[in-house]
Amino acid sequence: MSLQAVILAAGEGTRLRPLTQNRPKALIPVANKPIIEHTIHSLLEAGIRDIIVVVGYRKEQVMRHLARLNLPITIVRQAEQLGTAHALLCAKDRIAGDVLVLPGDNYIDPASIRDIAGVKNSILYTTHRQPSNFGVVTIERDTITSITEKPTFASRMTVSCGVYHLSSDLIERIIKPGLSEAIDAEICRGTMLTAVMAHSWQDAIYPWDLLAMNERLLPYITPEKSGTISSSAVIQGHVSVGQGTKIGPGTMIVGPVAIGDDCSIGPHVVIEPGSSIGSRVKIEPFSVVRKSIVMDDVVIASHCSISGSVIGEGCTIGEFTSAIVKTGFIPLGDTAIRSSCGVIMGNGVFCKPSITFENTIVGNEVHIEGRSNIRFTCTEIPDKTRVM
Amino acid sequence: MCGIVGYAGYRDAAPVLLQGLRRLEYRGYDSYGIATLNKKICIHKKAGRVSELLDSPDILQGKVGIGHTRWATHGIPSDINAHPHLDCTEQIAIVHNGIIENYAQLKRDLIGRGHVFRSETDTEVIAHLLEEAFSGDLLDAVRKTLPLLTGSYALLIVSAGDNRLIAARNQSPLALGIGDDEIFAASDITPLLEYTSRVVYLDDGDIAEIRPGSYSVYIGSQPVQREVHEITWAPDTVQKGGFEHFMLKEIFEQPDVIHQAIHAVSELTLPASLRDASSVTVVACGSSYHAGMIFRYLLEPACGIPVRLEFGSEYKYTPVPFSDVIIGISQSGETADTLAAIRKGVCNNVKTVAITNVLSSSITRSAHDTILMHAGPEISVAASKSFIAQVGVLMQVVNLLSGSCCTDILDHARYAIEQVLLTDLTKAVDLCSGAEHLFYVGRGVFYPVMMEGALKMKEISYIHAEAYAAGELKHGPFALLSPVTPVIAICVPGIAYDVMLGNMKEIKARGTPIIALGIEDDGDVRDIVDVVVPLPKAHPWIQVLTSTVLLQMLAYHTANRLGREIDMPRNLAKSVTVE
Repeated sequence: MSLQAVILAAGEGTRLRPLTQNRPKALIPVANKPIIEHTIHSLLEAGIRDIIVVVGYRKEQVMRHLARLNLPITIVRQAEQLGTAHALLCAKDRIAGDVLVLPGDNYIDPASIRDIAGVKNSILYTTHRQPSNFGVVTIERDTITSITEKPTFASRMTVSCGVYHLSSDLIERIIKPGLSEAIDAEICRGTMLTAVMAHSWQDAIYPWDLLAMNERLLPYITPEKSGTISSSAVIQGHVSVGQGTKIGPGTMIVGPVAIGDDCSIGPHVVIEPGSSIGSRVKIEPFSVVRKSIVMDDVVIASHCSISGSVIGEGCTIGEFTSAIVKTGFIPLGDTAIRSSCGVIMGNGVFCKPSITFENTIVGNEVHIEGRSNIRFTCTEIPDKTRVM
Repeated sequence: MCGIVGYAGYRDAAPVLLQGLRRLEYRGYDSYGIATLNKKICIHKKAGRVSELLDSPDILQGKVGIGHTRWATHGIPSDINAHPHLDCTEQIAIVHNGIIENYAQLKRDLIGRGHVFRSETDTEVIAHLLEEAFSGDLLDAVRKTLPLLTGSYALLIVSAGDNRLIAARNQSPLALGIGDDEIFAASDITPLLEYTSRVVYLDDGDIAEIRPGSYSVYIGSQPVQREVHEITWAPDTVQKGGFEHFMLKEIFEQPDVIHQAIHAVSELTLPASLRDASSVTVVACGSSYHAGMIFRYLLEPACGIPVRLEFGSEYKYTPVPFSDVIIGISQSGETADTLAAIRKGVCNNVKTVAITNVLSSSITRSAHDTILMHAGPEISVAASKSFIAQVGVLMQVVNLLSGSCCTDILDHARYAIEQVLLTDLTKAVDLCSGAEHLFYVGRGVFYPVMMEGALKMKEISYIHAEAYAAGELKHGPFALLSPVTPVIAICVPGIAYDVMLGNMKEIKARGTPIIALGIEDDGDVRDIVDVVVPLPKAHPWIQVLTSTVLLQMLAYHTANRLGREIDMPRNLAKSVTVE
């Protein structure tokens, strides 16, 4: 019996709003592929082909995407998002023996998967600078002694990657809704779980974390140059250009950069390292994009400078727009969160020319019209706002 | 309208045929049957759906066989009327898709000559004719019999003591799948793709002699070569992929489909006959007719070219065509009436353009030019993504003919559809699912959108839904309005906005509940109606697309709430290959 894998992709990822308003976290594109697709590729590379995906929040979007991959993936629906262990139990009828459980919204490399696949009843862990955002694990001589999900004060820097290799009898005993709590209860009952150190792993808690994930994954893309590239365009380093994309004269692209299909870029555009440009994107002359994620169907007019930003699907950015990276605190609800980015823009935002963004979150379908030369610093603009 | 499959090779034929019939079920599903060759002919046939049969019955032995899933035309759906049909001696079995028009005459003659008929079908005459013509060689008997038949047919024939399968086609689709040491035959290529990607499309008049591992095609007794096509879609694209119904999957595929469709035709590939036309006739049936009507509302003001619009089934009763070009729209490319219209145009020396989803379908071989809409295989009987693709192609044609002034607008279509897919329709579904009658009203280009919305509702939810041009409501249908007949109206800013507001007030004054598709923050609409289905602010062309998608979703969720068979509604079939 070969090892099965269950990918949990039912969660919303509320801390990534506004980006998760229209799609689950697992479908956010990083290096021009949804995060879940990176996980699936790592599994395939590690030789695991029997894959089950649990879907819930915005499930149609996930199923549609997986159907396009043309892989024999089994889909299981979780009707209500009651927790990760509940999601796993939704797939119980499809599980034949031991399974690997993975989050659909983290990056895990194939080597780590190979390692954990070899050790029954084990947990993948790593160290993190902000452990309190994750499940903190304590380890004694390669054995996990406890897991505490998102503690107020973390006693260790070691965190669970959310990847587990579980035996079928252990799954039978799960009663708690959250997987960390359920595993912790198992440990208390005396089950031995081995700690396996991850090679490469990355999660995105807040939208600006996606930029780091993007930079980490871009070097792994397959470089290819489809489309029509002007002979006077300069392309250096690791760059992939999709089918039907037109790169105009005088354009400079320095890799690692991924560009999707049917885009129109240039003439005289600069794209600097660490940028992912989706499909059907239009970037007009004299604009610069660096260290940013630009999703599908975006129009960036001329003379823009976009750095350290995430631009959602279908946004229209007027001329002379600047997004400048700044570090500061953004008030979100009743707390303020330290962030460092240019602008995080939801889907379908329209903004008039000559607007400057510094460390700002712009909700879905916001219209910024009227007066130009507005500067937004360390603010959050809610969904569907009209700024006049 | 029926689906047929055949197999000759090294595997047990029955499971292959059963699986093939399940794939063809969209073509008809009131009865099914299979015959296999094992010294004598083994038959299993039954009224009902093939998907209800789980394992292949034990009696079906043999490596050669034929199968059929039926959409009744002659005779009620019953075990006896199900195909395959046998001759008197039970030596020859046939399955048939199409209609034999002169069957009554033939049947009288055959009974006169002593043949005993078991069923009420037109097909059975072919079995008896073959019996008479049979003198040791089945192929020879088929050659002698076919000239006696008038009408349309795709036939698969086997006879006891012969390991060959004979296929013949006239005006009904039939394709062969070429595997290694095995040959498949089917009404369309979806069942073949599980086993092979090499496909041969038969032409009208072709007879194919199929042995396990080899085949030859003849016209009469003259051997001919038919091109082998390599098919690039993977069979997995026709799986549900976790969606509850194919229809929902296809609705969610529409953002990509609209993008493909808009780019299916460009300045360079636009047929010259369209570019030079000073008058256009559009011929289509069902949803395609509504796409044609949208085209008329867009093209006439944009280019001043008059558009005549006809149902395929009515076009044959009109005199010789007087337009410069005839556009035939058919998803499957096999719709008999639309095909006949294209052929009428060709006969009368009028340029013809086909808009279809299926490469190498009959319509593409009849028309002078073809525009493929690239919607991908559509399985659900109720059209969703193919309709959006047709509208996308037609919008692009209007755009190209009017100097590409709307390219920027069309670029926005994909995202606009993606956006409305997230709309919550619960309140509108509550109102619709409790109703027995629904009225859909709109003005201008939104009138055909409403017609399409009403058609979807009828097809899959079985609720009686009628669409009217809003101004026509007062000329009669107003008498039917009551507090239990919800009206679905579309009211967006534009030339018809004020008069639509007035119409809705009149409807509301009769105590009739209204569901309105309107701009999200439009207070005037919200004040009048019961439920607002929000439509994003956009150009009217985009609103045509987004409102279509919302009405599809309204029909889908209503039908789902009522527990209907969404992918295979009662009495319907996907491609209508009979008149």
